[in-house]
Amino acid sequence: MTLGNLRDLYQQVILERYKTPRHKGKTNPVHRYQKGHNPSCGDTIELTLQLSDAGDKILDAKFEGEGCAISMASADLMAEALKGKTVKEALEMVERFQQMMKGEAEFPKELRKLNVMQGVAQFPVRIKCANLTWHALKAALQSSADAESNGFISNEKEEA
Amino acid sequence: MTITKERTLAEIVRKDFPILHQEVNGKPLVYLDNAATSQKPLAVLDALRNYYEQYNSNVHRGVHTLSGKATDAYEGARVKIAKFVNANLPEEIIYSRNASEAINLVAYAWGLTHLQPGDEIILSVMEHHSNLVPWQLVAKTTGAVLKFVELTPSEEFDLEQYKTLVSNKTKLVSVVHVSNTLGCINPVEEITEIAHKYGAKVLIDACQSTPHLPIDVQKINCDWLVASGHKMCGPTGIGFLYGKEKLLRAMPPFMGGGEMIADVFLENSTYADIPHKFEAGTPAIAEAIGLGAAVDYLSNIGMDKIHAYEAELTAYLFEQLRQIPEIRVYGPQADSTGGNRAALASFTAGNVHPHDLSTILDQAGVAIRAGHHCTQPLHRYIKAQSTARASLYFYNTKEEIDVFIAALREAIEFFGGIFG
Repeated sequence: MTLGNLRDLYQQVILERYKTPRHKGKTNPVHRYQKGHNPSCGDTIELTLQLSDAGDKILDAKFEGEGCAISMASADLMAEALKGKTVKEALEMVERFQQMMKGEAEFPKELRKLNVMQGVAQFPVRIKCANLTWHALKAALQSSADAESNGFISNEKEEA
Repeated sequence: MTITKERTLAEIVRKDFPILHQEVNGKPLVYLDNAATSQKPLAVLDALRNYYEQYNSNVHRGVHTLSGKATDAYEGARVKIAKFVNANLPEEIIYSRNASEAINLVAYAWGLTHLQPGDEIILSVMEHHSNLVPWQLVAKTTGAVLKFVELTPSEEFDLEQYKTLVSNKTKLVSVVHVSNTLGCINPVEEITEIAHKYGAKVLIDACQSTPHLPIDVQKINCDWLVASGHKMCGPTGIGFLYGKEKLLRAMPPFMGGGEMIADVFLENSTYADIPHKFEAGTPAIAEAIGLGAAVDYLSNIGMDKIHAYEAELTAYLFEQLRQIPEIRVYGPQADSTGGNRAALASFTAGNVHPHDLSTILDQAGVAIRAGHHCTQPLHRYIKAQSTARASLYFYNTKEEIDVFIAALREAIEFFGGIFG
């Protein structure tokens, strides 16, 4: 087995976050809610955000969900990285993450933890696993309501 | 004295499948995703190539020689398929794009015209989405009610519960022959006999049985049976519906267009006889001919022989899986002959998510399926978010099962370290 490649994909941090996520749950209060779903595999993410009074800053982010190590670790690392970020910065992070999945970018020093997901770029069929949580974030930030009636965003059209 | 070991079926046929002889991620390919689609033997590839190189033409149209040849081959394949499933007449075989389309044909042409509010359709919780969604649509339109057969404790079709569901209200029973997830072989003859006592019609989804077992539609006595070509060594884009002659004649057309008509006027038309009444437009000619070649290929080996060899592989696969404590296989366990269930295993492996497992196995050259296998309601029923599935065909070997098992153990170890 080519364990080298697999070690790139399943870095220790990813396995640890999968085993013991640090940001699982629901924010209190919930200002934004978004469900993300991969219909082809059944992975689900329920992302919640707590925003500042002005609504322009993310105070807290949490997720619930079921899925593979890649999707769960990606959600946990994202939730951590979002704390204290402005909505504008968060949307830029979404773009950068998606570029990283194409092997075209990485995060700067202060967000370098997210770079452990870089190995996924070598496994095109798994990119949508890593992207699921970021798609949910984008939809959450672009919605104005906090209601749980947003429906869910589907990751099916993910170009891989 | 030299002792010559008898060659296994796989050892004889593997040369017929060029795709199997390659490396994936630097390892010899071990293809264990046959329930999703099977590989194609040279005989099928040659039939496709021969058609396009020698006599590509539209069918049932032209008077010219090539069109005649194409029509003969297209209709000849229908005769082969009819014989393969022991239909009474070739006209009882309707070509479709796939099994889903064949089920939709029955749902729309028969369901919409025969079901009344309060009529009951019996399905099972193990159905593929293709045998659920068309009936949900029909039920919504007609006011018919869906009823579901559940599973026994050993995760098989609950025949006793089924008996309590059938009544004079039952108009249709539509169930799978072999579950693509559980691998159980359902008692379709008994299911059909019981349904017929109440005057209900029966449709059998035979996608996972036709490639692996001898199928006899007259013995099952079902009203319709559907199968998919690409799971039985045929090309994609072709499947078929078997239907009893009388029933097919009484059904209105499904789709309108060329080929399915007798006389067309501006305001109305009369329709062609079966089977063409249900085959609107230029059909998948090459694919139908390719499926005919696949049927020839399977018949030459013999479906009994294929089933016997696969049973041997199944017994071996389950014997190996049982030795890994983290593995939980869904559906009935294989008995010592392996012949009591299909040659596939859907399983979970402790804390290793099926997707991660599939990626790790892929690095070892082993192709398996991970996900819900288009049976989401069944996965909810068995309380598994997703499963991994290894599914075999007659060209797989015990050595390949060994490679799969070794890679599976490595994957569990790779993840086990963190959870241990």
